Amino acid sequence: MKFLPLVWRNLARNPLRTALTAGAIGLAIALVCLLLTMPNGLDVLLERAASNTRIVVHNEAGLVYPLPYAYLQKIRSLPGVVGAASWSWYGGVFEIEKGVTFPNFAVEPEPIGTVWADWGIDAKQLEDFRRYRDGAIVGGATLKRQGWKVGDRITLKGTLYPVDLQFRIVAEIPNDRAPFLLFQREYLDQALRAAGRGGLDTLGIVYVRVDDPARVAPVMAQIDTMFKNSEAQTASETEKSYFSSFFSMLSGFVTIILIVTGLVALCIVFIAANTASMSVRERLGEIAVLKALGFKRRLIFTTLVAEAVILSGLGGALGALASLGLTQLLHARASSWNSSLGPLGSFIVTETILVQGLFLALFVGMISGVVPALGAARRSVAETLREVF
Amino acid sequence: MLPLRYALGNLLARRARTALTVSVIALVVVASTLFSGLVSSLKRTFVTSGNPRNLIVMRKGATNDGSSAVPLEAFQALRFFEGVARGPNGQPLASPELVVQPFFHTPGGGRENVLVRGVEPVALAVHDEVKITQGRMLAPSSGEVILGRGVEGRYVGAQLGQTIRFGHGTWKVVGIFEADRSSLESEVWADVRELGDDAKRSVPYSGVRMRVADGADLDALAHRIGDDSRWALEASRETDYYAKQAESANVFYVIAIGLAVLSGIGAAFGATNTLYAAVQSRRAEIGTLRALGFSRLAILVSFLVESLTIALAGFAVGSLVAALLGRLVSWWLGGIAFGSQTFTTNVVQLRVGAVDLAYGLCLSLAIGLLGGLAPASRAARMRPVEALRKA
Repeated sequence: MKFLPLVWRNLARNPLRTALTAGAIGLAIALVCLLLTMPNGLDVLLERAASNTRIVVHNEAGLVYPLPYAYLQKIRSLPGVVGAASWSWYGGVFEIEKGVTFPNFAVEPEPIGTVWADWGIDAKQLEDFRRYRDGAIVGGATLKRQGWKVGDRITLKGTLYPVDLQFRIVAEIPNDRAPFLLFQREYLDQALRAAGRGGLDTLGIVYVRVDDPARVAPVMAQIDTMFKNSEAQTASETEKSYFSSFFSMLSGFVTIILIVTGLVALCIVFIAANTASMSVRERLGEIAVLKALGFKRRLIFTTLVAEAVILSGLGGALGALASLGLTQLLHARASSWNSSLGPLGSFIVTETILVQGLFLALFVGMISGVVPALGAARRSVAETLREVF
Repeated sequence: MLPLRYALGNLLARRARTALTVSVIALVVVASTLFSGLVSSLKRTFVTSGNPRNLIVMRKGATNDGSSAVPLEAFQALRFFEGVARGPNGQPLASPELVVQPFFHTPGGGRENVLVRGVEPVALAVHDEVKITQGRMLAPSSGEVILGRGVEGRYVGAQLGQTIRFGHGTWKVVGIFEADRSSLESEVWADVRELGDDAKRSVPYSGVRMRVADGADLDALAHRIGDDSRWALEASRETDYYAKQAESANVFYVIAIGLAVLSGIGAAFGATNTLYAAVQSRRAEIGTLRALGFSRLAILVSFLVESLTIALAGFAVGSLVAALLGRLVSWWLGGIAFGSQTFTTNVVQLRVGAVDLAYGLCLSLAIGLLGGLAPASRAARMRPVEALRKA
């Protein structure tokens, strides 16, 4: 410990070099931290959005394949099911010219409060949603983006169904995770009948809430067995696995990111090793003098490695903090899904990543310092001094 | 001017240090060109999709043909609109299509949404970039499908002559097609009526693609379709449609550029360090050169040549590794899957092209220049007397 000032003096001897090396290591660590948020960020996103007591039931053939509407009642009657609501894609578009769109679904109004108790929709607003046939629940993120508020009236133009629907916004989902617009299934059904198109006898997917997380697996199995060999077979899955299927296509992208992260990490080792070997080479004479004065090899080795570790530790800490700041900034700019930034706003550098980045930096410092330090400690004094003087 | 041999000789004299700096720049070049190659490959699948003489007709407001519906009567009227091109047998080149996104199962047990396009035989004449390379076109109403090159081998049964399961039934694979590496190569084509029955669609088509006759005005025809009050339809150029889809790649551009800038600056710092050390250890030499009468400019240039040579060597090594790694990744993953706006899988072949390499070259030259400028100018500013005295 008492040699710490020596280490510090050595670092301060060439401030420009120290700053440049710390900067290079810092940038690389920042990059690694940022890249590490990507696979992690998706997982966090899913954990946040999904509930462990909700099940999604859809057609085994694909999400766009409908299920008979009668399935909903059958699912509701199963033991352990607290509530079930069907979602049917309406595909309505607001302001065609600007291409403003957000996911919108026809649902049953009654079970919303039970199935999505975690959304925390105001009880009074839920009551309004049940009461008004043209009522709509809109996600907080969508309300914010469009500048709407509860009480506004809007019209969506149908792209899949030949009917346009007018809504009054009666409730808000008070979080940014659900950018949907939900409205009464009956409203769409009646509009279709009025247009002479026959009613709605199918549904898209069913969200089921069970009373106990332990019951999720048995209920899923029960549902799929119930509809086995019927006109449309179902596939049930947990909400998390359902959401993750939307992101699974990014898996190839994530692989590339991991490869690139590896390359960048290697890059830092090289930069740090280069610096360490340069500073050792310049100090060969000095080190020989220290040894001639009787300082032990171990001590010389330790101080040199400590120098490299401190340098890259400092750089790494700076880089990790910079990446944290950057993601916080992005998060503040685009809290959930943003058209130009995509999901980037939801990727936050967590404490785990900070620690990982810091450890990587220390590890790099160690690796880069060991080889030149070993060489310097081993070198014979007489030989070095002869060369230098 | 100092001879080029002086600068190059200096690099060779300190081999280990030169090699380390070259490796750092090479790594940066690998990371950036690989990423740029990925993004541009993705972009290209969309940009090369679509024929400039084609219109895509969808329901007003639909952003992709997966969320649109076009009734039978509308198609029957549209195909006889004035300005629609005709095939050799007098048949209008208007292709009614239905897009469905069923699950396909990968051999590993995963599932992916794949875009299945229901078509009629006329589709091949309208999408003329589609070429059947193996087997033949599917015959209507016989449970046959043809696969895009990106789909082949990716899913269980996705081979010529085998049967594949999706939707409610099983389908015979009778052909494989290519489409200029566009996004169509990630599609499966089936008979439009069979697909509609299988998916229990009440509206037979999701969109219509049509070729506009030579000499006819694309926009005039598009306006006529959009203004027809019988159906709320909208026609746009096929190329515009795919260009809009390509916007989903913009996020990746943000990442790629950020990556290149950050790692580039880091590498420039590393290069600066190396050169500063080189200048420092060559004080006596520089002093001697100045005393011999070489100008400041000559010394500046010589040091810049050194750093640019390192950068170019880094680029050469890096681009070679990137190209190899790109091949390796393509071979290993069999193409990289991306989600498109229709929530279907788009299989992209990673290729590091000339543009990506040019990007890597610019990046490495910038690193060399930025990294070399400050040390080179320090060397040039050195006063010969001082430099020699200290040494």
